[in-house]
Amino acid sequence: MSSNSPVVLSIEGLSKTFTGQKALRSVDFQVHAGEIRALVGPNGSGKSTLVKILAGYHQPDEGAVATVDGQPFELGHADAAFAAGLRFVHQDLGLVPALGAMDNLALGRGYIRGRSGTISWRRERETGEELLASLGYDFDFRAPVSSLAASERTGIAIARALEGWRGHAKILVLDEPTASLPAAEVNRLFEVVRTVRDNGVAVIYVSHHFNEVFDISDTVTVLRDGAHVATLPTADVDEPRLVELTIGRKLAEPRDAQSATAIADAGTALLQLIGVGGRVVQHLDVEVGPGEIVGVAGVTGSGREEICGLVFGDHQRSGEVLIEGRSVPPERPDLSLRLGMAYVPPERAAKAALLDQTVRQNTTISWLKPFYGPRGLRRADERAETNIWLDRLEVVPRDSEALFQTLSGGNQQKIVLARALRIKPRVLVLDEPTQGVDVGAKAAIHDILRNAAAEGAGVLVASAESEELVQLCDRIIVMNQGRAGRECLAAEVSADELTEYTLRTLAADPA
Amino acid sequence: MTASPVREPAPPPTGLASSGSSLRSKLPGLNSISLLLIWAAVIVLFGITQTSTFLTTETLKTLAADQAITAIMALALLLPLAAGAYDLSIGGVMGLAVVLVAYFQSHYHLGFVFAILLTLCAGLGIGAINAFVIVRLRVDSFIATLGMSSVLLAAVEWINGGQEIVTGISTKFTNLGSDQLLGFQLPFYYMLVIGGILWYVLEYRQAGRYMYAIGSNPDAARLAGVRTGRLTVTALLGSAFIASLAGVIFTAEIGSATNQAGPPYLLPAFAAAFLGATQFRAKVVNVPGTLIAVYALATGIKGLQLSGAAFWVNDLFNGLALIIAVAFAVRASRKRA
Repeated sequence: MSSNSPVVLSIEGLSKTFTGQKALRSVDFQVHAGEIRALVGPNGSGKSTLVKILAGYHQPDEGAVATVDGQPFELGHADAAFAAGLRFVHQDLGLVPALGAMDNLALGRGYIRGRSGTISWRRERETGEELLASLGYDFDFRAPVSSLAASERTGIAIARALEGWRGHAKILVLDEPTASLPAAEVNRLFEVVRTVRDNGVAVIYVSHHFNEVFDISDTVTVLRDGAHVATLPTADVDEPRLVELTIGRKLAEPRDAQSATAIADAGTALLQLIGVGGRVVQHLDVEVGPGEIVGVAGVTGSGREEICGLVFGDHQRSGEVLIEGRSVPPERPDLSLRLGMAYVPPERAAKAALLDQTVRQNTTISWLKPFYGPRGLRRADERAETNIWLDRLEVVPRDSEALFQTLSGGNQQKIVLARALRIKPRVLVLDEPTQGVDVGAKAAIHDILRNAAAEGAGVLVASAESEELVQLCDRIIVMNQGRAGRECLAAEVSADELTEYTLRTLAADPA
Repeated sequence: MTASPVREPAPPPTGLASSGSSLRSKLPGLNSISLLLIWAAVIVLFGITQTSTFLTTETLKTLAADQAITAIMALALLLPLAAGAYDLSIGGVMGLAVVLVAYFQSHYHLGFVFAILLTLCAGLGIGAINAFVIVRLRVDSFIATLGMSSVLLAAVEWINGGQEIVTGISTKFTNLGSDQLLGFQLPFYYMLVIGGILWYVLEYRQAGRYMYAIGSNPDAARLAGVRTGRLTVTALLGSAFIASLAGVIFTAEIGSATNQAGPPYLLPAFAAAFLGATQFRAKVVNVPGTLIAVYALATGIKGLQLSGAAFWVNDLFNGLALIIAVAFAVRASRKRA
């Protein structure tokens, strides 16, 4: 198979250093024409850095040599990458939702125009339809892409990447193409990817999902800590072996996962999820008892990043959420708060920060009632309570009237936590509670959460970092393709093992 | 596992500025209270050049009364602007109120108290329609209220066939607009009362805090427990109510009702609100800043007119002030990005 076909992309000695940190260490990488190459590795392994250097977004360190079809190729330049025949479909696809497939295709390369400069809509349509048909698509060409299925949108993005350059497009890089795809549409996408490969294009497929790797790829390259670990024909590895390569050590003996349920039964549940579902998450049942910290692990796209928003009411959901037996209505953050559930959202800047307001206003916004006097809100009381929180969480500077945006990331995150803790929550729901926070602040935030649990609150934490979950939680639920997979006690699992569980597919996992 | 060393920069906060380079200019900004200094400088300048006409109590009193309506209109804008929504229909609402309060008296011979109440209800009705279109139908507030202001122009023309209403207006009613207290016309005091209430609501009530939070980051406000839809409705009802008050006061002051009274106040109101936003609190609309902006602008215009400038300096000044104020706000938010 691939080893017989010519090498289309060859890279030798590729390194990349970000302010003293090695992201890539002298990586050698070759791709053959007409193969689907999976690129796997844990977070921070360097796969996204590699893709970004190929796309010309980052400059490599000195000394890397690259060729495309035997011709020298300059890494780190977007124009050079395009001219050499590299095409990219990024996770967010970059389509204009309100326009149809035809316009989205045309935006990539410019509209087909007649001699006078008038757009030739007829030719435009024919070209586009032909292209999409060649990928096996048949849908309304003029419908806005926002009304199409997710796999069809991905298809359009792929078509646009390849479009009009047949023979020119030599390498197609797909970065987590199934991240926002329902399971049923993944196979549809795979057919398209195979069609592309069968036309002689090399496909580099970046993915966290090992089941996809086995379904679609011909060969697989494993990166770990910025170094190339192995490149193997996919048929020659099984999943345990691939996990082992990715983690960098032997597989542990499977543990008995049953002991985990013992804790949940011990107390009556504070927080109950019954059949909760969202975009990815399906029929999730979880219970969190008083004083318990429950972690949610999982790779991107597993549903891990969706759960907290569903529980608190940020997004539409199905199923039921109960706090001490009382039902929490969906999409009503204000009522969730009133029922005693506090939320620390992911993406602080977008979902939590009131950047141009003071630290005091950011702290007190969720519960202003205690400050009401006969003449309205009493600033002095507000300030006094904010200062108590600034002391307790060791926020620097200790200035309740400083603008929120002047604080460092770690201190901002502490204020968001103070906002949540202030309402004396029965249940704390946190999504990536230590996002963009330095080591010291991280430890401090973990202490704060442990204290909250010690005082009887139930805590639900979702995090992409296995280490954080293992350190912080009592019990960890591993999400897999929208469902709760393995459940384990944090005391009995190492960070590496947890990462391994997140990478293993549901089918391969007996739990 | 460590987090990826490559961190995408957080998206810049949305605001008046589009995301731009972090331009760190050394030019002086319109910092807190600098508008007061400019105002003082203007007074000194015209005080020296136009001593006999400018530095008189007469000028002070005319200024205070003349600008009361402009100030009330600028105050009307503060609630929606604080909550991150535009209300371009306040000119139209004021115009409608000007005609309605006279029409109810002259045509239906209603008592003036009743006429005022009905007019204010009509204003609230317009606010409710705005709120429905913006919050429920999710039409952008700029577009929704732009459309509404055209609808209101039509309504005003239709009500009295485009005729000015000069008869049948109660003198008790017009006294409310023309009587004086301590040498100042009553509308000046109305303005102070409205400004005081608004200042209290924005600074010392939960509703005000919530509106500023929505204006700062609607998603964060919602997740912090703010009913964003409900607060936006409140803000739009508030702006329509205050604008119709401005219309009622205007008719009382003038003693007749023309059909083109409201719209000319829209732009000066925006200029003052945005210029005021550069004062006291960073980039946020506020009551004291707005009132100072109204009077600083008016003082400059008055001085120029007394120096023999043409009547159009009014429009010129307000237009420039609006552009400059927003340019400063954009620059301030760019610095931070």
